[in-house]
Amino acid sequence: MTRPATIRAAAALLGAGCVVWAAAPLVHTGLANLALALAILGVVGGVLRLLLAGVPVPEETFLLPTPLRAWLRFLETLRLVPWEEGAVIAIVWLEVMHSSRPWPTAGLGAALIAYLLATHLAESGASPGVLRPQARVLAVGAVLLALGAGAGMLPAAGPGAGSALLRLIAAIALIVAAGLVLPYVGKA
Amino acid sequence: MSFPSGPNGTGLDAPEFGFSLRWRSSRHARRLLTLGLAALFVATVARRPEFAGIAAPALLLLAAGRSQRRPPRVTLRVRPSARRAFEGELVAIDLEIDGQGDDSVQWTLHPGREIDPVGATAADGPQVRFTFSPRRWGRRQIGTLDVVLRDRWRLAEGHLTVDLPALDCYPAPAQQRTQVVLTRLPNRLGEHAARTFGEGIEFSGVREYVPGDRQRSINWPASTRRGRLQVNTFTAERSQDVVLLVDSTSDVGEPGSSALDLALRGAAAGARAYLDARDRVGVITYHWGSVGWLVPGLGRRQVYRIIDAMLASERGAAGPSGSAYGTSMRRLPRAALPPGALVVVFSPLLDQRFIETLRDMRERGFTMLVVDVLNADPPVRPRSADRMARRIWRMEQEAIRFSLRELGVPVVHWDGVQSLDLPLARYTRRPLVTGASRGSWGSRR
Repeated sequence: MTRPATIRAAAALLGAGCVVWAAAPLVHTGLANLALALAILGVVGGVLRLLLAGVPVPEETFLLPTPLRAWLRFLETLRLVPWEEGAVIAIVWLEVMHSSRPWPTAGLGAALIAYLLATHLAESGASPGVLRPQARVLAVGAVLLALGAGAGMLPAAGPGAGSALLRLIAAIALIVAAGLVLPYVGKA
Repeated sequence: MSFPSGPNGTGLDAPEFGFSLRWRSSRHARRLLTLGLAALFVATVARRPEFAGIAAPALLLLAAGRSQRRPPRVTLRVRPSARRAFEGELVAIDLEIDGQGDDSVQWTLHPGREIDPVGATAADGPQVRFTFSPRRWGRRQIGTLDVVLRDRWRLAEGHLTVDLPALDCYPAPAQQRTQVVLTRLPNRLGEHAARTFGEGIEFSGVREYVPGDRQRSINWPASTRRGRLQVNTFTAERSQDVVLLVDSTSDVGEPGSSALDLALRGAAAGARAYLDARDRVGVITYHWGSVGWLVPGLGRRQVYRIIDAMLASERGAAGPSGSAYGTSMRRLPRAALPPGALVVVFSPLLDQRFIETLRDMRERGFTMLVVDVLNADPPVRPRSADRMARRIWRMEQEAIRFSLRELGVPVVHWDGVQSLDLPLARYTRRPLVTGASRGSWGSRR
């Protein structure tokens, strides 16, 4: 199995894993079924986009037979729709429908980040080594992820000084992260 | 964006050019932003801090990549390994980028029409090489090049699309080793054995010694038998003028093996074969009644001049010798069509005016040989009328060829696959008789 195929397979497995993780156990409240369907659609669409990324499109699309034209339209749709973004929103939506379970949610967050990184590697054809400069930032992100999970655990432990401190740290971390990202959002 | 063309139109003489980049956030950045905002929104609305934790890594990555410096311009160097290539020949193009800093570079080659990539069409790194081969003759755009620069956080992408320079693709010459030689050759030193005596190396006969003969040419066995000194005689070695007449009026058949493809390949093969035999070779390109020409010349470079002239005529431009394209056949200068020249015609014989031109040339005393390059039939539907029409068409074609043979113009058929030596074998084994028209039609006209 070649490296691009391995990375594509990893992206597909991570996407499927995220959907299963967020969906289990199945809930039937609200629009859970719709969210599950959208999550599956998003992951499948993203994987198909990665698989068919190398299929060439003819320069001349004039007077093509109908099946070929339909195939080209399918490819165009596949390449235009932001499948992964849709899948991420649907998975987060699925997860929030469950009652609070901080550590599984943190695990889902780590899996989602891994899914997005694997998808990026697969679509750009880059080796995993290009992510080496991001290792420190990802480590800090993992710490914040754990902090967020810890903050989520606190209501179960009951109100107290420690609970308030951890909530404060989590809030500050979020505010700092949001403050850092705002200029970038403005530029984008 | 494209490379400014140099005088030769390839951009080879201008090694590097600066290009502006269009930077935008990558799909990866948009996905991270989606995850961060969605998780923050859920954390705020549902009051569940663990979702804020999900947002944290994504937002941190985006914040870290925010201060990355992005180069606004880069310099590209493009070096094709050749400006000209024959059909099917491998050509490489070396690409190098400068000014990209720490950013990674990804190259994607989108080959142009009639360009076959050999190997990968995508590569990474500041220096890459793509290999390709042109499929069919003509001036071919190598293609377009997509260059994508990614910063070290993979959050922003700089895009650049460049049109690569054009490549002149020559028709691949067919195989031809033998030459058709005329009986009457001009008095010019060459490699063909003439019918007259001379200082060549081909033995011609024995005659009696006369004072002034070279002593080394004495044939001692013959002298001993006859009792008088006998000397060997040799044939003179002469060259001839050959004019390749290419009919580019009708391009019928499958692209790649059409009548024009075969005509150009056959003419290129003829040019190479006759120039190898030290003949002077020129070309006349006929196109809907008007002609372009290149006067006969010698040497290896003449092959390329001839092919350039044929391709220039095909584009409707002036030939390399400055020949005025659009002149009629009757106004051709004497230098372009020398008297006594062998005229080798490559044509599908579909244009009636061209056939009349051939008859006219024959009546003016030119020795001609027609290579018929028609290998396609008109398409027919399964109807009796269509089949009948095709039969009539075939009979007309046979009649045209018969009439030319009657005029003393040999017509051979070439399928473009086999060597040209095979159809020409009848005429390469012995000299082609030079002379005025000897056909009944010609004499009546």
